[in-house]
Amino acid sequence: MRSAAAAFGWEFHARHRWGMIGVVVYMIVLGAVKLVVIARGIPIYLDSGESFAFVVMVPLTATATYFLAAFTFGLDGDLAARQSMYPLRRLTLPVTTNALTGWPMVYGSAAMIVLWLVLRTFGIWPAGVEVPWIWPALLAVSLLAWTQALTWMPYPLPGLRIIALVIWLGTIDMIALLGLHFKAGEWLMIGILAPQIPLAYIVARFAVSRARQGEMPNWRHPFASLAQVGHVSSGRRFRSPAAAQAWFEWRRHGRALPAWVAILLPYEMVLFWAAGDSKSLVFTILIAILITPPFVATFAAAAVSTSSSNAGDSSGTTAFVATRPLTDAELVAAKLKMAIRSTLVAWVVVLVSVPIALEWSGASTLVIDGWDRVRDFMGISRAVVLSLLILIACIAATWTQLVQSLYIGLTGRASLIKATVFLAIGFFVLFGPFFEWIADSGRLGEVWSALPLIFSALVAAKMIAVVWIGQRLFQRRLVSDIALFTGAAAWSLTVLSLYGVLEWVLDAPHIPRYLIMLVAILLIPLARLSAAPIALASNRHR
Amino acid sequence: MTQTAPVIEIANLTRRFDSRTALEAVTLSIPRGSVYGLVGANGAGKTTLIRHVLGLLRAQSGSVRVFGLDPVADPVGVLSRIGYLSEENDLPGWMRVEELIRYSRAFHPAWDDDYAEELRKSFALEPGAKVKTLSKGQKARVGILIALAYRPDLLVLDEPSSGLDPIVRRDILGAIIRTIAHEGRTVLFSSHLLEEVEQVADHVTMINKGRIVLSAPLAEIREAHRVDGHVPSLDEIFIARVGMSAAAAES
Repeated sequence: MRSAAAAFGWEFHARHRWGMIGVVVYMIVLGAVKLVVIARGIPIYLDSGESFAFVVMVPLTATATYFLAAFTFGLDGDLAARQSMYPLRRLTLPVTTNALTGWPMVYGSAAMIVLWLVLRTFGIWPAGVEVPWIWPALLAVSLLAWTQALTWMPYPLPGLRIIALVIWLGTIDMIALLGLHFKAGEWLMIGILAPQIPLAYIVARFAVSRARQGEMPNWRHPFASLAQVGHVSSGRRFRSPAAAQAWFEWRRHGRALPAWVAILLPYEMVLFWAAGDSKSLVFTILIAILITPPFVATFAAAAVSTSSSNAGDSSGTTAFVATRPLTDAELVAAKLKMAIRSTLVAWVVVLVSVPIALEWSGASTLVIDGWDRVRDFMGISRAVVLSLLILIACIAATWTQLVQSLYIGLTGRASLIKATVFLAIGFFVLFGPFFEWIADSGRLGEVWSALPLIFSALVAAKMIAVVWIGQRLFQRRLVSDIALFTGAAAWSLTVLSLYGVLEWVLDAPHIPRYLIMLVAILLIPLARLSAAPIALASNRHR
Repeated sequence: MTQTAPVIEIANLTRRFDSRTALEAVTLSIPRGSVYGLVGANGAGKTTLIRHVLGLLRAQSGSVRVFGLDPVADPVGVLSRIGYLSEENDLPGWMRVEELIRYSRAFHPAWDDDYAEELRKSFALEPGAKVKTLSKGQKARVGILIALAYRPDLLVLDEPSSGLDPIVRRDILGAIIRTIAHEGRTVLFSSHLLEEVEQVADHVTMINKGRIVLSAPLAEIREAHRVDGHVPSLDEIFIARVGMSAAAAES
């Protein structure tokens, strides 16, 4: 390796080899589908929004996000920290600051441009749609360049980097959306976006230069007294070791979900003002708001599921955590409690802010009107219970999203975690087209008829897993007999309660009762949660 | 467990990581009230042995008993009586010193607030300082504080002095001395800085490539290696022993 450029390139290749191979394989498949299948004139109907999203947009957006993380070195650093995320080791390399700044930008930009060209060439179905060639590529490059600049910059306050990223990248996105909305010409968009790239380079170079000189502004002193508000004095004792561990988990992982929900909500709620008198739009926004916490929880779960106390260490367990004099079940219980608290705080944010936004924007009249219709149709008691059921389901889904992958994450086996992520992505990518194929081929009726059989098979699989897990919990003494019995009783009671409520609310004689019971059994989590102590034990005592 | 029973009892412990043998038929008995030095080159198996004592590794063959208990089956019973300081010093960087003290205190009913405060002051640790802002030496001191403040029955130190300046190393040795000042308490510490081991250990076990090559009271080892009235240092004995072991392995 004779040059800094080659060394940088080699390091990116070595570090992200498998990720890049995955991306290239996907691009080849996408290309093959378009070049071979479509060129032969075999019709492929991928013109619905869902299919296009699942086959093209979701994988390519995930790839773009991966590129952003890889080429900013964001996979290593702490986004909320004050110090630059540019790796310290690289800052000491005997190369110029221009090279340190420029080469990651060049490689990242090249990757983004290739990604866009592949999407433009192979991902647009049908091919006749007018999609510009140049400015979307410039948009992708400028987003990457600004992300690099803003992540490499040292900040005077913790968390400021996240705010800067959200505001600035949101502004660039807004420009693009406005361009699309007003059908701006290609040259106008190029004129707006092209200067972003050298500007971002100048800012990034300044950031790397400051990081290299160890300069980091500090505005924390004026905020020090504020930080002490709510700071628990060392004199106050925890009630128990379990309470101390729950506090540890809350401080480590619990605040991310409410914080992200609080950041995203204003962007969604501002749409109430844009919705005007459109009832359907208001309800669409409400649905989007309701699914925001479970959606964000899916990502927050990645951090919750780690057994380590260090953010960067995604697998394995640190000796500090592993040597806490707590049982494996108590360590897992602390995570579950933290997830409950995190979920409740996130939902308090939603439940307080949404009515205010509805009232303030005037959209509340549309919501009240909609509610009146539901009440008239179902009756007041059923409408109230159904609404509460939906709310509880959303809250429960948020909590479930946070904790359902514990049984994978706590194993600390990086290969297992990655394989599960790929399987999940694969499932979601295939599910949309598969469902659409069923709908298009007129087989929905057959699937509906087969639902009892499908649900029965799923329940049988769940029960087999539960028995297997229960045996291991008992044999390894990971959970006490009383806890096992109490857990089973609580689960049974919850399932029966849900069954009763569903049976009463649905009030549909054509839906068999056993089907409702099967649904209730499948909805209440058991197997994966119960497996979490086994996963942690295998990691903690290797 | 009786007062005379060993604190740590390891029998025929073997551990393999894939094809590499980290520990080979290790048998060890650490009596109550002793200062036990575990010495060996980097990668000899010291940390692997300590991780078995803490229950962080499950014995593949053989057995490990600490206070008569299996540390894997009963982590609470074992870990609540152990003070542990690791070479990695992986204390959570986001905690303030006072938060770490408050958090650690919750796990140990015998936590001595006065003693903790005395240690904090003598180590000059700011209560409001975040752990991640501390120097390596200060982090080691915080680690000593939370390992000592509940006066554990067993203090386990894994390469505690590695990369630290002489003043912090003195504090660590002081911690060992403080611990043994309390009757019946036991110290197991691993190090490749043999002069430190010589200063405080009363029993030394040398480990090389996962095998115990020598295990005896320090005074006995010195006496056994005396040549023409010259008592060799532990460094010299170690080099001689490990050299012999390597030669035996080759032959």
